[in-house]
Amino acid sequence: MNPILEIKNLKTRFFTTDGVVKAVNDVSYSMEDDEILGVVGESGCGKSVHALSIMQLVPDPPGKITNGEIFFEGRDLLKLSEKEMRTVRGRDIAMIFQDPMTSLNPVFTVGFQLVEALRLHNDITKGDARKRAGELLSLVGIPGAENRLNDYPHQFSGGMRQRAMIAMGLSCEPKLLIADEPTTALDVTIQAQIIDLVKRLQDELGMAIMWITHDLGVVAEMADHINVMYAGSIIETGKVRDIYKNTKHPYTMGLLGSLPRLNDPPGVELISIPGLPPDLIALPKACTFAARCSYRNEKCLAERPPLEKTEGSDHAVACWRWEEIAGTK
Amino acid sequence: MAEIIPEEITITDFAVREHRSLWGDAWRRLISSNTARLGMFIVALFVLSATFAHYFWEYEPKKDLDYSLKLKPPTLVANEEVPSVHIFGTDKLGRDIFRRVVHGGWNSLRVGIVAVGISLFFGGLIGLFSGFYENINMTFMERLFLFGLTGLMMGVLAAWIAAQPFQTFLLAGLGVAAAYFDDFYKGKPLRMVIFAIAGAVIITIPALFVGSTVALICGGWGLITGALLSRPLEGRFFSNVMMRLMDIVLSFPGYLLAIAIVAFLGPGLEKGMIAIGIVGIPVYARLTRSAVLAVTQKEYILAAQSVGEAHGRIIFRHVTPNILSPVIVQTTMGLANAILSAAALGFLGLGAIPPEPEWGAMLGDSYRYLTSGAWWAVLFPGLAIMFSVLGFNLLGDGLRDALDPKLRT
Repeated sequence: MNPILEIKNLKTRFFTTDGVVKAVNDVSYSMEDDEILGVVGESGCGKSVHALSIMQLVPDPPGKITNGEIFFEGRDLLKLSEKEMRTVRGRDIAMIFQDPMTSLNPVFTVGFQLVEALRLHNDITKGDARKRAGELLSLVGIPGAENRLNDYPHQFSGGMRQRAMIAMGLSCEPKLLIADEPTTALDVTIQAQIIDLVKRLQDELGMAIMWITHDLGVVAEMADHINVMYAGSIIETGKVRDIYKNTKHPYTMGLLGSLPRLNDPPGVELISIPGLPPDLIALPKACTFAARCSYRNEKCLAERPPLEKTEGSDHAVACWRWEEIAGTK
Repeated sequence: MAEIIPEEITITDFAVREHRSLWGDAWRRLISSNTARLGMFIVALFVLSATFAHYFWEYEPKKDLDYSLKLKPPTLVANEEVPSVHIFGTDKLGRDIFRRVVHGGWNSLRVGIVAVGISLFFGGLIGLFSGFYENINMTFMERLFLFGLTGLMMGVLAAWIAAQPFQTFLLAGLGVAAAYFDDFYKGKPLRMVIFAIAGAVIITIPALFVGSTVALICGGWGLITGALLSRPLEGRFFSNVMMRLMDIVLSFPGYLLAIAIVAFLGPGLEKGMIAIGIVGIPVYARLTRSAVLAVTQKEYILAAQSVGEAHGRIIFRHVTPNILSPVIVQTTMGLANAILSAAALGFLGLGAIPPEPEWGAMLGDSYRYLTSGAWWAVLFPGLAIMFSVLGFNLLGDGLRDALDPKLRT
């Protein structure tokens, strides 16, 4: 199998008046053409920015991709012109955004927006595009799809808008769908429906999905692989089972430990990771997590650990002491 | 035990509402307000009377003259002294004021539409481009275009001072060249020096034919323009230059600038329209830019980019409809403002040329007779100005309330 997406040493910077924000630091990984990759991490860890970097939609100015290569089906996206990139966006890679309330244009009907997206990359007539738009809406489970095409976004509920966004993302049958926290703004039942929907669509249409979230429960349910990001870098990556059952990085352990569990006895306090993530303008030379880590030693404060493979073939972790920590458990 | 029969579950969405479009909603709110209805009524009366008078009620101002009817008070019935009916009275040349007020409406309407059209077109485009590219990377062609536009705008001043319109195109060319030779000594001070000198030279040479002082001033401006254009190519830079230019225009009192422009172009209603239009550009440019800045932060713009839409399409298809409401309100208010400005220019004798019926000019013609008791010659054109301005303002207020998204229910 060929990797559909391969990222090498991606660096994205924001040049602000306060200093250079190092939003994405040396991110490298690859994705297979039918896998679901979960990208997790807390707010501001570079999850969304790295996804926008793939699409080259980082707000510029002030953002810039300063280094790296992004191979999509063997082509380096960073070397494409804006015009070539436009044909990649939507047709090869589609993206769904966090807030369904604002990601549809309020002045156009949902049908109009779907038709527009369809006609952008396919040479089809308006009538055909409209028919296809209706099919897409029913594919994502909107009842009475044909009649809802003439509705404006404000006539849709939040869950329906997110479904409509997914329909728009799928309109040109992309090979990679990037979902940037698509369920964060929705309540839990709708969230579950959307997750089921995406899983079903992946079975039916067969595409790679990158699911960006800070909800570890969601990715556990659907992803094949997980990248855990912290302060702009991947600190642990591997198969879902490895990440959850065989956690190596203290940060991932902290994240998993801070989840409430159904079988906890009542009154058990949730564990939280002390401290705050580092300032991305003044990143320490040390391990970025060292300041909050209970396992740190001198080496952690002196040098940043690289992302190293552990015994599992896919499981890699960026920690100097993962072997010792594994021994203590 | 009673058998529980599971009801068939059908998915119903309770958020479904009666189909209402955005503009339909706004219209309903507009006509539900009394003041807006009054405004609409006055505006409709004004527009219809002016249009019908222009097309169906012939009037030749140059031949309208009857000294025997000089300054007669309003008469509703023909009598011996005044053989014809003049409901608004007559002016110093014995012309029927009613007729002139109605025909003057056509001129005011033209001024309003043309002046606001000029302000809206140029101001709107400047605002759209400068707002949109603040946070969005420009492609090569867009750079050429925007830098050409910057040069063009900067060139207007030099062209005006030297009275050589082609100078705008020289600086526009310099802008395009700066964008095209982006890599030429990039980031080095030499680049700025070369472009500054180039700007100064191409402007000074034609200006020398006019005079040495003019050449000096224009050369200085060319120097500044060249130096500015040599800067790195960023949307934020374009936006900055445009907004500072708008600040310069705004820093003059509006009427004074309009008078200055009319003095440069020469008197006449058409020149007045252009002057009023130019003075209004900054208002629309700033308004549009601020609205665009707010819209480009919205996720649907990112979403539009992520499906692969081109920038131009996003600007005109997605951004423009979303900024229409403040622009519509400003345009309506702007019409009132333009009518008022045209009247002011007319009053000063810089707008419409005399026999032409124009409200401001009619006031200017007649105010001297106020002391001899001819109140009607001043009152009726004055009322016409007042009511048309009031009508547009009321309508604008109503539109602002109707288009305010926060009031949407």
